[in-house]
Amino acid sequence: MPYRLFLLKKRICKALNKGPPIYSTMRFTFLFKIASLTLWRSWRASVVLLFMVISAVAALVFLSALAVGTNDAMIRNSTGLFSGQIAGTGIQELETHRLQIPGVKQVLIRRQLEILLGNGESLESLVLMGVDPAQEKAATAYWQKTVAGTYPATGEETIFISQDTAKRLKLAIGDTVNLLNLKGFPLKKLAVAGIFKTGISHLDQGLAFCPTQALPTGETALSVAVFLQADTPVESIVTQYRQILPLASVSAWTDFMPDLKQLIDLDSVCMAIVITLVFAIVSVGISCTFLIFTLKNLREHGIMKAMGLLPGDTALLLVTQIGLLTVFAAAIGTLAGFLTVAIFSRTGIDISAFTSHNQYFSVSGILYPRLTGLALLTPPLVAILFGMAATIWPTIYIIRKNPADILRSV
Amino acid sequence: MITLQSVSKLYVSGRGHIQALSEISFTAEEGQGIILVGRSGSGKTTLLNCIGTLEIPDSGAIFYNGTDICRLSLRRRTLFRRREMGFVFQAANLLPWLTVAENLQFPLELNGIRGKAQRGRIEELLGTFGLAGYEKALPVELSGGESQRIAFARAIAHAPAILLADEPTASLDTSTGKQLVELMITLCRTKGTTLFIATHDLELLAMADRVVTLKDGKMEQRT
Ligand SMILES: Nc1ncnc2c1ncn2[C@@H]1O[C@H](COP(=O)(O)OP(=O)(O)OP(=O)(O)O)[C@@H](O)[C@H]1O
Ligand SMILES: [Mg+2]
Repeated sequence: MPYRLFLLKKRICKALNKGPPIYSTMRFTFLFKIASLTLWRSWRASVVLLFMVISAVAALVFLSALAVGTNDAMIRNSTGLFSGQIAGTGIQELETHRLQIPGVKQVLIRRQLEILLGNGESLESLVLMGVDPAQEKAATAYWQKTVAGTYPATGEETIFISQDTAKRLKLAIGDTVNLLNLKGFPLKKLAVAGIFKTGISHLDQGLAFCPTQALPTGETALSVAVFLQADTPVESIVTQYRQILPLASVSAWTDFMPDLKQLIDLDSVCMAIVITLVFAIVSVGISCTFLIFTLKNLREHGIMKAMGLLPGDTALLLVTQIGLLTVFAAAIGTLAGFLTVAIFSRTGIDISAFTSHNQYFSVSGILYPRLTGLALLTPPLVAILFGMAATIWPTIYIIRKNPADILRSV
Repeated sequence: MITLQSVSKLYVSGRGHIQALSEISFTAEEGQGIILVGRSGSGKTTLLNCIGTLEIPDSGAIFYNGTDICRLSLRRRTLFRRREMGFVFQAANLLPWLTVAENLQFPLELNGIRGKAQRGRIEELLGTFGLAGYEKALPVELSGGESQRIAFARAIAHAPAILLADEPTASLDTSTGKQLVELMITLCRTKGTTLFIATHDLELLAMADRVVTLKDGKMEQRT
């Protein structure tokens, strides 16, 4: 509106005695300009606020990714040692090729036979697993737990026994061991190729391995261990298997390792509590800093109110200010967290010094932080939410304060 | 025309009851320059705040153009100030994070004067107050006299009906203060703005159309 027109309109209003005309709230672009200029020109306070939010968001993004990486490592270690992510029984030999579906890295077929192992007078009952050595080596890690000798190779008439078994039967590498059926009838003899120790009792007790062709003839049960490609959801594969093979019994690691499942659930709960606590503390910090920042500008708010700034305008101005700060800081913080995760997910974080006796880290103690959508988005969104919450008190304080009191006191 | 009818204001504080204003009545015409004098604590600021609708009197009425501005709702009072009031305080009037031009922009934005008209008006104001070329200066870079002149320019930018100045010359030397008040009175007279100035400076009285003397919240009138 040209200035002369404005004056004319004003004069007409007055002549018609219409009282003060109501004008709409402030233009948002101007409000935005004031908000950003205030932040820009009082940059010291802004930098302090930014620094707080950025470091909190970055730390939390990294922490979330680390938690995911820890869970990954525990699952990888626990399932990768021997069992795979999915175990199946009651499957016919001819059906096993149907298990190879997209997302599946490897299907190991194992034949098991309950036998007695004997050396002289000593006997031990255990489950002998006939395996394909090359495939086992490619997919699992328990063969790396060899403490003496070597893992059997295809074609050899050898056996791989646990250290416990070796001690009880007084066996050493190269010794010959008798295989008997459960009634005590001798079946055949195998040479000890290697001795292992995993540190996990259900593997170290009552289990021995030999190449499939070295198994004594007899009634064997078939079991399969399925290893998935990274990032394949285990539930979807299990569902598909149940459709393909309705008669087989298929279970995911979450079923046959309930302890690990619970540990990971517990981990998520702890993480949620940590994130909430850190943000509660940071939000108190942001609130206080913002309050000081606002109170420092109290006189200016008094002047603006005297000039006719409506409560809604004041609220919008303050919300825009803190909104600008938190959105900017959350973006930078997320980026910083993302980059940190990217660096460490390549090199990994070696915590093996703290995990050598932990059964969930039996293969490797290296963590690879991994970002999930949730881990990436929760910290910045929570920061923005808490930042907005932090504007409530200063806004109410300024809106309710009479400009005359502000201008008298400051 | 502004008419005050028995305006009274009582403060209750730790010191007890303070009758800051009692039964103030007078009428000010359009374009008049009115100077309020009185000892410290006599009620000058309180009276200006009441006229400026920053405070509400306990009793009495203030009529502007037939409307009792004390009875308006908070929103309408705020919008009335936005439209018809200009304020100049003793010091630190300007928004420190905004440049001179941005400070002048403020009342213009609030009154819907934008774009080219806004730029033209800012230029005109700076010319009137002899501060052309100061657009990009920040308040901290101005002298006391310069910032008070900008404060005046900002207060009259939207052609308010009433201009309220509370000790505007207190932080200036006598001759600078006198020049400033002279400029204001002349400007307000030509634009038809009613001007109220509270001051301790008795040298300024000669310039006023009317002097209102306050003593302990009561009016001692002389013309
Ligand atoms: N918010 C308040 N609460 C209590 N008393 C107040 C309040 N504001 C002002 N007063 C009192 O009201 C009286 C008038 O104050 P006012 O500020 O109007 O005086 P003044 O004439 O402007 O003084 P000065 O020349 O020093 O600025 C004073 O006694 C003051 O102490
Ligand atoms: Mg005063």
